[in-house]
Amino acid sequence: MATLGRRDFSRGALAIGALAWLPMNSGSALAQAKKGGALAYATVSGPGTLDPHVSSSLVELEVIHNVFEGLVALDGQNATKPMLAAKATPSADSKAYTFELRRGVKFHNGDELTSADVQASLERYQRVSPNASALADVERYEAPDPYTLIIHLKVPNYVLLDAMKGPIFPFMILPASQKDKPARSVDVIGTGPFSLGEWVKDSHLVIKRFDGYAPDMSSPGRDGYAGRKTAYLDSVLYRFIPEATTRIAALQTGEVQLASTIPTELRAQVEQRPELAIREVFPLGGSYIIVNSQHGPTANVLIRRAIGAAIDINEIIDATGGINKPNPWMSFPGTPYYLGDAAPTPWYDVKSADKAKELLKQAGYNNEKIIIETNSNYQWMRTTMLVVAEQLKQAGMNVDVQVVDWTTNAAHMQQGSGDWNLSTTLFGPEHILGPSPWRPLIYAFSSIKGDDALDAAYKEFFAGADLEKRRAAWLKIQQIVLGDAHMIKIADSGRLSGYAKKLKAQSDYAGILQLWDIYLE
Amino acid sequence: MARLIALRILQAAPVIVIVSILAFLLINLLPGDPAVVIAGDQASPEAIEAVRHNLGLDRPLIEQLGIWFVHLAHGNFGASLVLNQSVLSAMGERLPVTLSLAGLSIAITLPIGIFAGAIAAYYRQTWIDSFVMTVALIGVSVPAFWIAILSVILFSVILRWFPTSGYVEFSHDPGLWLRSLVLPAVMLSLFQIGFLARMTRSAMLDVLSQDFIRTARSKGLSEWTTVGKHAFRNALILIITAIGILLSTAIGGSVVIEQVFALPGVGRLVVQGILARDYPLVQGVMLIYGFAFVAINLAVDLLYTFADPRVRYD
Repeated sequence: MATLGRRDFSRGALAIGALAWLPMNSGSALAQAKKGGALAYATVSGPGTLDPHVSSSLVELEVIHNVFEGLVALDGQNATKPMLAAKATPSADSKAYTFELRRGVKFHNGDELTSADVQASLERYQRVSPNASALADVERYEAPDPYTLIIHLKVPNYVLLDAMKGPIFPFMILPASQKDKPARSVDVIGTGPFSLGEWVKDSHLVIKRFDGYAPDMSSPGRDGYAGRKTAYLDSVLYRFIPEATTRIAALQTGEVQLASTIPTELRAQVEQRPELAIREVFPLGGSYIIVNSQHGPTANVLIRRAIGAAIDINEIIDATGGINKPNPWMSFPGTPYYLGDAAPTPWYDVKSADKAKELLKQAGYNNEKIIIETNSNYQWMRTTMLVVAEQLKQAGMNVDVQVVDWTTNAAHMQQGSGDWNLSTTLFGPEHILGPSPWRPLIYAFSSIKGDDALDAAYKEFFAGADLEKRRAAWLKIQQIVLGDAHMIKIADSGRLSGYAKKLKAQSDYAGILQLWDIYLE
Repeated sequence: MARLIALRILQAAPVIVIVSILAFLLINLLPGDPAVVIAGDQASPEAIEAVRHNLGLDRPLIEQLGIWFVHLAHGNFGASLVLNQSVLSAMGERLPVTLSLAGLSIAITLPIGIFAGAIAAYYRQTWIDSFVMTVALIGVSVPAFWIAILSVILFSVILRWFPTSGYVEFSHDPGLWLRSLVLPAVMLSLFQIGFLARMTRSAMLDVLSQDFIRTARSKGLSEWTTVGKHAFRNALILIITAIGILLSTAIGGSVVIEQVFALPGVGRLVVQGILARDYPLVQGVMLIYGFAFVAINLAVDLLYTFADPRVRYD
């Protein structure tokens, strides 16, 4: 179901990267773009909810980001850019942020956006969103006039705007009338370039061009999730087709012009048609081996390091296929927190059974069973763990592979429950946004408790008034998380989309399809 | 007859209670947590616990079961945890799709399956028998998932006879409704035709070897009357039993077909409900399925009395 969450970004979703976001055919796009036409888009499944404040799955966000907008957004250079705000200004001490709203922005119901709507939306976010902790420092809101909102904080917060641009659990602005609506129960009324038309659960969903849309005229054109957005398409029909072969068939017959998540082994079926093409969306996430830091033998850091030392990344990449590239860091190249060659990464791709054996000896490993838990839903995860199991066996470890369903597997990782030592998953937008959104995942997935060094590094990060200090803290965090093998990075991953060549100027920056500025020839 | 129906409804009550308890226990005993699915991946343990509390999932299992029974007694099947709608409403939206698919599939299956089985029995141990039984064997053996995908490639992509996927409501356009369902229904009926043909053949072979058939022939009755009237009527009990089983499998078997053809039916609803650990949804759907199967069995029992006057429930 849908509700697969960040899990939905698995191998299928969140794309990013300084190069990846560039719209196709962008050079000639503006000259040839024309209004009109209906796009049919075959996607894997349908949304469970369109409440932006609680949405984390790709299939939900691919609708939400075209219907709603936030105060600020992620731009094409991975920076924060005003969207519904004309300006976002922190105070000198970063204890207050002032947002001046753009004038004349209309909701889909015709009402004009005011600071009351913004305040109501943020207050609702604090009440219903699983990501509400991002606003935990808020002391109060102040709306001195209909076009200004000030957020007063209890303590300085240097990364508030970074948090507010996040594409998952997005800080979208709803009409004030939605303030008291429970989670998953809002009316779908936004300010975006498209408004909701028909929605038949499990079948299809239609969004229509919102002719009252007020674009950001201060920008020359599209810019990530921000910038001047122009809706050319009359409507977009999302068709929920879970079976990949059927999605490809729909593309081949012209029933749809765009199809998401094409398996690598089936790409030739698309490319053999002259009117169709394949697009590599990369990178959209990073795949990781999750190590349970509190359970059994993997509570011992030396055994965790031994596991890390035994891993051969290229063997895993070769076995799983797909779009994967090695990257030792927890940030994508081209993003503000990517460290590149700034420091060595001795934990990555060590592929030394001898070193692993030496570490096991130091750890006093006595052939205790290391339980690998994987799932029956995602083949790449299963393949990854089977390869890992063989690599660990070669290093002398006693390995037991267990298969459950993904829902169970994910719950075990997130809650630290169950009897397992190693598992695997894929994380998405944290690779763009950096340490702040990584924090709950790092602690939860590896069940890290009582790591003073990690706590201190994070404290240092949040106290960092400038980017360089925060990057230095991020290095320390990664040296603990990856160096002590709480998580073992595998690779940055992408996915394939199939499309009709008459569909021009596509962009799915950060893996979420953006339907503004694209058009049908 | 009315007494029979009343009696069977009374007998069905404990079955439904057992089904409801099993439905409740099976989904609740699965590992995994709907609160995690709903709260999302970034949710703190406190947020997950809050969701669990709001949903009443932190109460003892026996208390949750009791609450569910109280709600059922009031006709309340509960509300989906993730769809933001009641179970009955969710079922109501998707049931027409599954019933259309199952109905059309049965409509295809009955004439072909019975005719093929009867012909195979009549021409037993000839090439016709071998041919029909081979085809029937293929029908029951080939995985529905695989043959359905092949059918999409052949009939939709290459021949362009049918759409690849999707569902059009009957009220929107009856022609498009039929076109959207023909291919899935045929694929669903492949197994059923094979099954029904084999059952019909077996039943007819039993009857055709009995003395009264020989008597009928010796009296000079035509083959049509002998086989079509006397033999077939006596084989009907087994065939009706088979049809009852087919109706049940048509509903259950629609899960795979709905997935391949992207039909928004109850099968997909259940699959998504299980994956999301949407307890009320899965419990509710399983219970409604339980009602449906009980009703099908009752209908089969009633049909026996029409097919064979010797069957009496008095």
